[in-house]
Amino acid sequence: MEKFKKSLVVVSMLASLTPAFSFAATTAITNVKVYTSTEQGVLDGATVIIEDGKIISVNPDTVTADNTIDAQGSVLTPGFIGSMNYLGLVEVGQEKITRDTNAKEADVTFDPSLAFNPKSTAIAFARKGGITRNIVVPGGGESIFSGQAIEVELTGDWDSIVATQKAVLVELGAVHEGSRIIGMQQLINKLEETQTALDSTQTSDTAKKEEEAKPPTKEQKIFNAVVSGDMTMVVYAERASDILQLIKLKSRFNLDLVLLGAADAVVVAKQLAGANIPVVMNAMRNLPESFDSLHNSLDNAGKLAKAGVKVVLATPGDAHAIYGLRYTAGNAVANGMEYTEAMAAITSNVADTFNLDAGRIAVGKPADMVLWSGDPFEYSSTIQRMWINGEEQNMESRQDKLRDRYMQKSSMPQAYTK
Amino acid sequence: MTKLAPTLVVVAISTALFGCNQSEQQDPKVSINKNPYPSTYQTLPRTSTLLTNATVLTGTGKRIDNADVLMVDGKIKAVGTQLSQDNVTVIDAKGKWITPGIVDVHSHLGVYPSPSADAHGDGNEVTSPNTAEVWAEHSVWPQDPGFNRAREGGITTLQILPGSANLIGGRGVTLKNTPATTMQAMKFPQAPYGLKMACGENPKGAYGRKRKEAPMTRMGNMAGYRQAFIEATEYKRAWDKYDADYAAGLNPTAPERDLTKDTLRGVIEGDILIHNHCYKAEEMAMMVDLGKEFNYHSGTFHHAIEGYKIADLLAENGNCAAMWPDWWGFKMEAYDMVVENVAMVDAVKKSCAIVHSDSSVTIQRLNQETAKIMHSANQNGFDLKEEHVIGWITSNAAKSLGIEDKTGSLEVGKNADVVVWNSNPFSVYAQAEQVFIDGAKVFDRQDDAYRAKSDFMLGQQ
Repeated sequence: MEKFKKSLVVVSMLASLTPAFSFAATTAITNVKVYTSTEQGVLDGATVIIEDGKIISVNPDTVTADNTIDAQGSVLTPGFIGSMNYLGLVEVGQEKITRDTNAKEADVTFDPSLAFNPKSTAIAFARKGGITRNIVVPGGGESIFSGQAIEVELTGDWDSIVATQKAVLVELGAVHEGSRIIGMQQLINKLEETQTALDSTQTSDTAKKEEEAKPPTKEQKIFNAVVSGDMTMVVYAERASDILQLIKLKSRFNLDLVLLGAADAVVVAKQLAGANIPVVMNAMRNLPESFDSLHNSLDNAGKLAKAGVKVVLATPGDAHAIYGLRYTAGNAVANGMEYTEAMAAITSNVADTFNLDAGRIAVGKPADMVLWSGDPFEYSSTIQRMWINGEEQNMESRQDKLRDRYMQKSSMPQAYTK
Repeated sequence: MTKLAPTLVVVAISTALFGCNQSEQQDPKVSINKNPYPSTYQTLPRTSTLLTNATVLTGTGKRIDNADVLMVDGKIKAVGTQLSQDNVTVIDAKGKWITPGIVDVHSHLGVYPSPSADAHGDGNEVTSPNTAEVWAEHSVWPQDPGFNRAREGGITTLQILPGSANLIGGRGVTLKNTPATTMQAMKFPQAPYGLKMACGENPKGAYGRKRKEAPMTRMGNMAGYRQAFIEATEYKRAWDKYDADYAAGLNPTAPERDLTKDTLRGVIEGDILIHNHCYKAEEMAMMVDLGKEFNYHSGTFHHAIEGYKIADLLAENGNCAAMWPDWWGFKMEAYDMVVENVAMVDAVKKSCAIVHSDSSVTIQRLNQETAKIMHSANQNGFDLKEEHVIGWITSNAAKSLGIEDKTGSLEVGKNADVVVWNSNPFSVYAQAEQVFIDGAKVFDRQDDAYRAKSDFMLGQQ
């Protein structure tokens, strides 16, 4: 149905604008204020040209395109990138039969791509916040290893999973029963075991090598990739003492480490910046929710960025309201974060942290772009158009249909209003 | 207990007869103290203050540009242009916006405080479907750091409610958001009590699903409310009879005191206002009729996700509806969210639409929650202005709490509960700069002397 609508849009554009529209047509968006999320910064009155789903030119000297969209001074940003949420894994939080986030036996191989539903109503609603791409994670189980992260596009199409195994997730910190020591110890043990095994295969003699040549398990492969720094490890931890332990582990095992939560990060910002560890955080946290998170504050995002930490802004958990990511960026700015830092924190920094080919308006990047009526962090701004890989998106959600149904006055029950 | 009751009745009758024979001798009148934990609130030190040259949203639908607000002795003395007054502190508010203090009708600060600790879960008396006997005020921890964060977001008044596990959860209390060591020192003088009720999934889940006892279903929910109000009606009748007989010079025996029924009797008599956690259109409609069946007003519906489907019904029956812009999908009864809900409820004549928080996070930015709705609605056919929507978090909320004669608008004679914002409060970048309660400055973003810190946070490293 959506596909059908899109082709209708293309047909009507063809008819009205460019009779000679071809498959590989180039589209120029002109007269636009571009937040590039690159070193180019913000470009006024600029032009962006896309072709075959890619950005092929930013602010060229001369513009030649098959199709031109005059943006009339609107704002163009990279599509925003959500992360660390359950998008497509849960339809209604408390209805267990609609929830595929958690399982007791979940381990490091727990893979959300096996459940991801691109038709979840939460996806169309998330698009309305300018989110075009997302890192989906599971909630895990009894193990400290909660599973894997995947990358999805918010097209709502069946083929919207871009990549699996983008990262493994580890959960540490305060526990309701027992001690946080066990979790940290399990992580250290696992890393040590993996390192020892890797070292011994490199140093042992040929006979022994052959003996051990049985193929590694899925789990071993994943930990091998983690210890060699080939796979990102995202660790949820809040308290500074835990964070300092993790910094040590990063250097000892050469991990590609990302911190999630990190309420106390601001206390050890220097160390984090020195160790080049990105922090994925919810900028709206400012209450001492627990004894692990006494340093939550609205100015933390700005302070971390100033200290040189790569900050990713996210709204972790169920994904029904991730459309509000842009407002969290606005609140971070209101509380001291540089505007371009906040923009990066929901675009290029997310891409860099999770190794995505997205998040920038730059030549060669996929044309994930949003055209806004004004400042994209403001409540007053609206989305005029959105593209994912150059394809224009339908911006209507189930919520819009409900609103429109009940806005109509009819002598018949609303059930007859489609 | 039931066995014993008839004997007591017999004794009572014989006493009464005996009493009559004994010339006019009456026992002392038994009466119930309706306010045993009174407010001890006192305003903080204050001077009379003139705020000048701001954009003022009065909370009554008016916007006045380049306007002044004069606060004298804790009251609004004047709102207008080019005001002057001797012996007042003048604050130049040029470029800034002034609104009434924000009122949140639904908070659990103090009863579900930060940090979340097992010892602090004092908001939900999950022991019986009807716990009308519990009072949220007896659980409030005034040191919850959340009170301070909420004040920094312009919250001057808030109702603390029990949770929603029970059909009838207990009494709520309205507080002034002034830092204090005791709950009573925050208690809003003369604010009526609220009674928390809950429809839908929570009560049947807490009892039926978890404990295999009533209510197991939504029909069980309705039966539970009706049974409780039948008993309360009998209780009221017994007290009314006692009062009438006593007034007639008899010497009747007072009915046995019952805390649960005291509260429900207060509802029937109109002293206690209903605050009903109720998401769905069909359930709200039934709760309106439940009120009619037992002769009380069904009050304010909280979390009214489907309010937009029955906006007319709510207005016709004088119900307020307190709503969120975008919380949804966490349970089935929250599935039919529309961001414009508040605007759609508000669009009907005689409506009372409110934006509420139920959250220690969003209570800090009800202005931004309101902005989401205003802008989304305006993009979809509405024409809402700042001076109108501010009422969703000020005057309408005060009306719901029964304190609209004291706060919620910048009108002459009202309490000087005032917020000075650094810019249009419906911008994502706006921050409350100064907050006044009863004319006393309780927060100043630029002045550490007016930034309260909880005992709990003191010395934490």
